[in-house]
Amino acid sequence: MKFGKRLKQQIEESLPAWRDKFLSYKELKKLVRLISSAESCVEYGKADVEAEFVHLLNNEIDKFNVFFMEQEEDFIIRHKELQQRIKRVIETWGPNGTKPSEAEYKDEMAKIRKDIVNFHGEMVLLVNYSNINYTGLAKILKKYDKRTGGLLRLPFIQKVLQQPFFITDLVSKLVKECENTIDEVFPVEQEDEEEIVKEQREAITVAGKGIFRNTVAALLSMQEIRRGSSTYGHFSLPPMDLPDSDLIHSFQLNSPIPIV
Amino acid sequence: MPSSFLALTSFKDKYSTSPSSFQVSSGREVMENSVSLQESSLAPSNGTLGNSSLSPSIVTDHMCASALPHVQHSHNPAFISQSSRDLASLLPLDASFSQSTASLIHTQGNKDVSWSLDRLQMFLDLPENTPAPNQLVESSTSVLASEDHNKKTNWQEWADDLINVVDPDWSKILDNTNVLNPRVEMYQLPKPSGDISKQQPQFHQNQLVPHGEFSSHAYPSSTAPPTKPRMRWTPELHEAFLEAVNQLGGSERATPKGILKLMNVEGLTIYHVKSHLQKYRTARYMPETSEGTSEKRITSIEEMKSIDLKTSIGITEALRLQVEVQKQLHEQLEIQRNLQLRIEEQGRYLQMMFEKQKKVEDEKGGAPSSASDDLLAPLPGSKHPPCNNGKSDSEALEQDHSRTGIGPGNAGTNEDKSSSGVSTKQKMPETESTVHDESGFSVSKRARTEK
Repeated sequence: MKFGKRLKQQIEESLPAWRDKFLSYKELKKLVRLISSAESCVEYGKADVEAEFVHLLNNEIDKFNVFFMEQEEDFIIRHKELQQRIKRVIETWGPNGTKPSEAEYKDEMAKIRKDIVNFHGEMVLLVNYSNINYTGLAKILKKYDKRTGGLLRLPFIQKVLQQPFFITDLVSKLVKECENTIDEVFPVEQEDEEEIVKEQREAITVAGKGIFRNTVAALLSMQEIRRGSSTYGHFSLPPMDLPDSDLIHSFQLNSPIPIV
Repeated sequence: MPSSFLALTSFKDKYSTSPSSFQVSSGREVMENSVSLQESSLAPSNGTLGNSSLSPSIVTDHMCASALPHVQHSHNPAFISQSSRDLASLLPLDASFSQSTASLIHTQGNKDVSWSLDRLQMFLDLPENTPAPNQLVESSTSVLASEDHNKKTNWQEWADDLINVVDPDWSKILDNTNVLNPRVEMYQLPKPSGDISKQQPQFHQNQLVPHGEFSSHAYPSSTAPPTKPRMRWTPELHEAFLEAVNQLGGSERATPKGILKLMNVEGLTIYHVKSHLQKYRTARYMPETSEGTSEKRITSIEEMKSIDLKTSIGITEALRLQVEVQKQLHEQLEIQRNLQLRIEEQGRYLQMMFEKQKKVEDEKGGAPSSASDDLLAPLPGSKHPPCNNGKSDSEALEQDHSRTGIGPGNAGTNEDKSSSGVSTKQKMPETESTVHDESGFSVSKRARTEK
């Protein structure tokens, strides 16, 4: 139930377009519960529930794959376009450009910075999407095996590990490249700025929804999920080691502003 | 009749997704083959059962038909037996059964059923290829999902609409069916053109290797190398795309056909190019901030978010902070993912060790038939003939709590083995209270035999 709640929270805090792309954890749990009761039922037997369960799992995996690859394709395109855009801005309004203009340059660069940071965030959120769905699958499979004494988990998980949505290498690579671009596009942080920043990091309220809020939420959620499980076993993840956790916790997440 | 047909096709759909999605032993493919044959013979007869020669053998004995050598005893809810039960349950559809299943499956939506109906027709024409018919439905469905999604994405962007449900529009589906049918050879396949099949795992693994090209890697455990209509773009492929577009005079002037020709990538279809071109055009002419629904939402909301954050510490700093958090999330995700991979790897390793060990034990004391079975079958759950209390090793691992005194694998004729089964059970609570069944069991078992 803990995971189910966490998942629900994450879904609520995620980008609107993504909300129905997550794992239908609740539904799967219902099926798992149904299995034990289906044992006694003659007509609608255990086999059917199992079959339905597997069917649903496969559909979910398809859903993830389709969504993930769509997003990935988008990211590839946007990544390239951002780089082109930066190049254009530098070449047009930059100091050595065709029509050098400091004002324009600054203006455009500010926009680019904002966009690129959000783009970075969105990509990370996709990796998070992949991860949380995988975690959900692993959990529900474990529950299933526990309930039914079945052996669905191991082979199924092996299959999941090979699915496109789980293989996030490309997106991670894009994220890293994006970080490099960000370093190039942002001015070098100066000494006095750093100090001011440190002071002000203490109580920062993150209002509204947005990529930033989503990533904070995702991080916190991940930490919670891995805090320590009652059913800790050989296949469980250890608690998270978050270096800057006070920073993260200093972000107070306001209640979501309803989108009109 | 119609309802049972509905149930049948949906069941077929279900069945096709479940076993085909798993690694299959060759035996199972034989079953699939027979099922698909049977289904193809069913199509013209409009849902009447018992037409095919297979039905008698499968119908009679629900569990352990001679036609299904890999089915295990009904007491063992093995993974294999489940799918064979699927198979078996496909056939003896009595009214109430089909009703309940029909309603259960109804959640799937009309879409799948329409696909099934179309596909069944095609089965008649296709040669006897195992995974092909079964997976066709799945593949077409997912392709359809993606196609629709593409169209939907564009509408969203223009209409600021957040509908993400794939539209179960029958006319669209049927149109797409005809369009998708001829798309046979996406990838170099040794088999003839009838082989449109898809199995997600292998293809995508292969996809990554040749950098956006389509490969002809055969999937190890299935007879027919699968085709995967759903394609995964890579930066290299995108570069090739861009080059082609530029050669043709820009995104506005370039046509999908022209791009496709110029790119000259094997297996790439005009649909891929078309949808990609659409995305590209959108990305170009609507700069980052207003691109896509999610981004559109973000823009107005970022302002809200920014007010507190950015007035106090300046925009650039706020952005830096945001990047920091995002970087951290990404790092943690990568760590988590690696952990998950390692955990599963370890699980696999332990499983393998246990199986090997079991094999040794079986060879030591087991009956000749069971020993040879062990030698033959590599996968868990597929080894034992029904006469055994046929538990595979992995099942034994999981079920040992609940079963009493059944030794791993063979019925414990051997005193040594049965005692080892019992004593291992006793050992289990001691060895690892926190560690999960499988590893604990195998660890203690190994310790025991080594003594």
